[in-house]
Amino acid sequence: MLKRLRSLFRVLASRRDFEAGMTEELRFHIEQYAGDLVRSGVPREEAARRARIAFGSLESVKGDCREARGLHPFDELLRELTYAVRLLRKTPGFTVTALLTLAVCLGANLSIFAVIDSVLLRPLPFPEPERLVTVFNTYPKAGVDRDGSSLTNYYERRGRIPAFAAISIYRYGTAIIGEAGSTERELISRVSPDFFSTLGLGPVMGRAFTEQETTYQTDSVAILTDAYWRQRYQADPRVLGRQVRVDGLPKTVIGVLPPGFHFLSSQARLYLPLASRAEDHTPLQRHSGGNVTQMIARLKPGATLAQAQSQIDIQNAALELDDPQAKMMADAGFRSIVVQLHADHVAAIRPTLLLLQAGVLTLLLIGGVNLVNLLLIRASSRVKELAVRQALGASRRHVVSEIVVETTLLTLIGGLLGLAVGAAGIHLLGVLGADRLPLGGRIAFDARLALVALMAAVVMGIVLAVPIAWFNLRRHPGNGLRSESRGGTSGHAVQILRHSFIVSQIALAFMLLAGAGLLGLSLKRAMAVSPGFQPDHILTGQILLPSKHYPNGADRLAFVEKLMDRIDRAPGLLSSGVVSNVPLSGNSGKSSATVKGHILRPGESPRGHYSYWVGGDYFGVLDVSLRAGRFLTGGDSRRAQRVCVVDEDFARYYWPDSSALGRHIFEGSDQRDDAEAFTVVGVVGRVKQAGLTDDTAQGAIYYPYIFRDASDIFVVARTSLSPETFGLTLQKLVRQIDPDLPVNDLRSMETRIADSLVTRRSPALLAGLFSGIALLLTAIGTYGVLSYAVAQRRREIGVRMALGARPEQIRGQFFSLAVRLLAGGTTLGVIGASLAGRAMQALLFHVPSLDFAILAGAAGVMGVVSLAACLLPSHRAARISPMEALAEE
Amino acid sequence: MGKTADVLPGTLDMLILKAVSLKPLHGYGVLQRIHQISGDAIEIPQGSLYPALYRLEHQDLIAAEWGQSENNRRAKYYTLTAAGRRRLREEAAGWNRLASAIAAALNATSEEV
Repeated sequence: MLKRLRSLFRVLASRRDFEAGMTEELRFHIEQYAGDLVRSGVPREEAARRARIAFGSLESVKGDCREARGLHPFDELLRELTYAVRLLRKTPGFTVTALLTLAVCLGANLSIFAVIDSVLLRPLPFPEPERLVTVFNTYPKAGVDRDGSSLTNYYERRGRIPAFAAISIYRYGTAIIGEAGSTERELISRVSPDFFSTLGLGPVMGRAFTEQETTYQTDSVAILTDAYWRQRYQADPRVLGRQVRVDGLPKTVIGVLPPGFHFLSSQARLYLPLASRAEDHTPLQRHSGGNVTQMIARLKPGATLAQAQSQIDIQNAALELDDPQAKMMADAGFRSIVVQLHADHVAAIRPTLLLLQAGVLTLLLIGGVNLVNLLLIRASSRVKELAVRQALGASRRHVVSEIVVETTLLTLIGGLLGLAVGAAGIHLLGVLGADRLPLGGRIAFDARLALVALMAAVVMGIVLAVPIAWFNLRRHPGNGLRSESRGGTSGHAVQILRHSFIVSQIALAFMLLAGAGLLGLSLKRAMAVSPGFQPDHILTGQILLPSKHYPNGADRLAFVEKLMDRIDRAPGLLSSGVVSNVPLSGNSGKSSATVKGHILRPGESPRGHYSYWVGGDYFGVLDVSLRAGRFLTGGDSRRAQRVCVVDEDFARYYWPDSSALGRHIFEGSDQRDDAEAFTVVGVVGRVKQAGLTDDTAQGAIYYPYIFRDASDIFVVARTSLSPETFGLTLQKLVRQIDPDLPVNDLRSMETRIADSLVTRRSPALLAGLFSGIALLLTAIGTYGVLSYAVAQRRREIGVRMALGARPEQIRGQFFSLAVRLLAGGTTLGVIGASLAGRAMQALLFHVPSLDFAILAGAAGVMGVVSLAACLLPSHRAARISPMEALAEE
Repeated sequence: MGKTADVLPGTLDMLILKAVSLKPLHGYGVLQRIHQISGDAIEIPQGSLYPALYRLEHQDLIAAEWGQSENNRRAKYYTLTAAGRRRLREEAAGWNRLASAIAAALNATSEEV
């Protein structure tokens, strides 16, 4: 067997030599025989003739020889390919339509699949990534679903959870890097020493952090990412030991990470040790995660999530025994949850991506059905040819393999074109925000994806061949000859098949259209939501005040006041303010506050609220509405009286029946000395923090800026012209005060709002695009089938017209066929759309899964498109001349 | 030309193996040799020889090599391989058994039944 395969490969490899050798050998034989004949007295001419006759057909002997060498299947394939190419070239209209359909459908699937692949499917780039988990605290009854993990959690769990092989904690942040005058703000991560060993991937050069480097006195070390090392140090191999200035403090480079190191979607350029003091991780700090500190862990081989979860539950329960906060946390529904790191990271985007993939698969289905219909029509017009060939001995296997070769050739070429469409699609998705998705940074068009796409194309080719083969083999060859010669209709079964394909196509397109409508309406409703302020003409930017130069609140306040003063005097800038966290910043962390005199009802837990520290004319810049009392002003940071402002949700929650003004609030989760209380001086309207579509009445408190103990602030400024044009001005004003300070994340408020809607807008746009293509495909399909029906019944129409039928009657007949197909498709489509609507309910905002207006609109569009597609064919039918139609036979 | 016999199905391979077992031959030579060793009784249709040769070569029973013909032309010569020799022996034995059995059967008289 092996020898034969080898011999076959040898021949295939040198096919030309084989053919030449065979020709030479056979010619030698004939000439040898002719020579013998000449020697026996036959004249030369006659001898040559007789020798050729005695040998028989040279070509058929050659064919037998090739077959004997096992070359037969290859020749057959080549022959079928040539035949398929000839057929496709004979019907260019069909071929171009089919190839474009395939290119678009396969390309669209490829692009969406590229996103799914990189976000959902490809494992994280660490050894045994399925063992990586994250642990976070949740307080659902306090309105805080997720709060990261605290340093205390980390120190208490380290080495005490048997299911974990390693555990680590990290904190994303930003830092100002570089020497005075040429500073840049960079994203950084502060990590515990075991961070890299938990991931299983650490520095390729140098070393990881050690336990000794976790105090503020000893943490002056840094690890560079490969990209930062190449960019800032020109890949200097002697970088270890060099100094890098971080927030004004020198750090020694001790390691460089490998090029492939990507932790989730982190863009951090530098890793620093997560330093802390002992008082930062006392039992009292156990619930201080605040969503900035996150925990990862690696399960031991064989350990399960459930084991880790129960061990953490047991530990939490044991720790609660002597925790004064335990009851409050229990009331808040406190738990620590263990989940897969990868799944957790992409959980929010997963349903949207799956929905989009379902959408493009539907598109592919519509395209496939379209192709089958067009191929069926073409097969019908070749019934006679095929019947003749079958009568002449073409085997069934032959017929089937010919069809498979043709459809596969078609889908393969379509697939190749689809690669180009897919590459363009991936680019488009990038523009629409796909590369800002979690793990979206690794979306790329690579050989692996191309291979998947081409394999899918081949599978599709084979699937498409099935109905065509069924059609061709279904009948006895004799029938084929007869039915065609009588000019009769094609078989009833085939007609039903074709029509049900059209119906299903209309239904699928209807589903896509209705789904796109739901997403679009949901986007429209989300955009119509008021953010609680006037977003036009507002410029926002973030500044980090390094603690080295701005050690306390007074220093920071001095800077802020100086900046406000300069901004207010700059031309074109009308007013300005600062805030600890700008609305829709992407950070929607909540913190606790305690209302003086508020006694928790049984089962009620302390609530998390949005907390803001504001300075300058923040409320004026944003134009937040005032419900009662007054706004905070810049002056409140200078006054001895501690005042605050709350929003209407906060006021309604604590004082549903009375005024909030004059009430006292403590920052933090416990009642304290009256001297620390803030007096409520105003109530303002709700401002959206987490997103326009977030309806939770979370409640918010605004404190004067002086009480802010962290170092990052957002500047907001109202501008007279387009806010973007003032970006450089703001940067310049900041540098005039402190040349070290960069302004980051400069965006207009309207851009922030638009960006916050990207996960709604992009899917809606894509769904709209898909349903547009689906409509086009359905129109092509309907047009094709009706045109064929008209062409096939020319004779019948001719007879009827000769007997006096009016053109309107003929036109009406085809029109009514189209209406019936449309009605069937729409009915099925409504059912499908209601199922699809229910499946996507979680992604919709203030839109029911079955919206009558959308269904009616989809039906209207569908009706217009498919009836328009049947206008031309039925018009053509009505214009058939009886004389010509009858004379054709 | 004397009386010729048709080749029985399945015996062409055996005859070719026999012919090339005596001496390396080109295709035309194989034809002549079979004609000659069968006492001019067996004549093989010329066209059917080559597919058989290619098949035997593909099965590794004979090997082919280009060489010089007696009138100094390039020609493809076939020789028997070890596997071919084994096959020829088996087929010849099988054929002889079958032939004598059929001969015995045809010579049977009514007394022997």
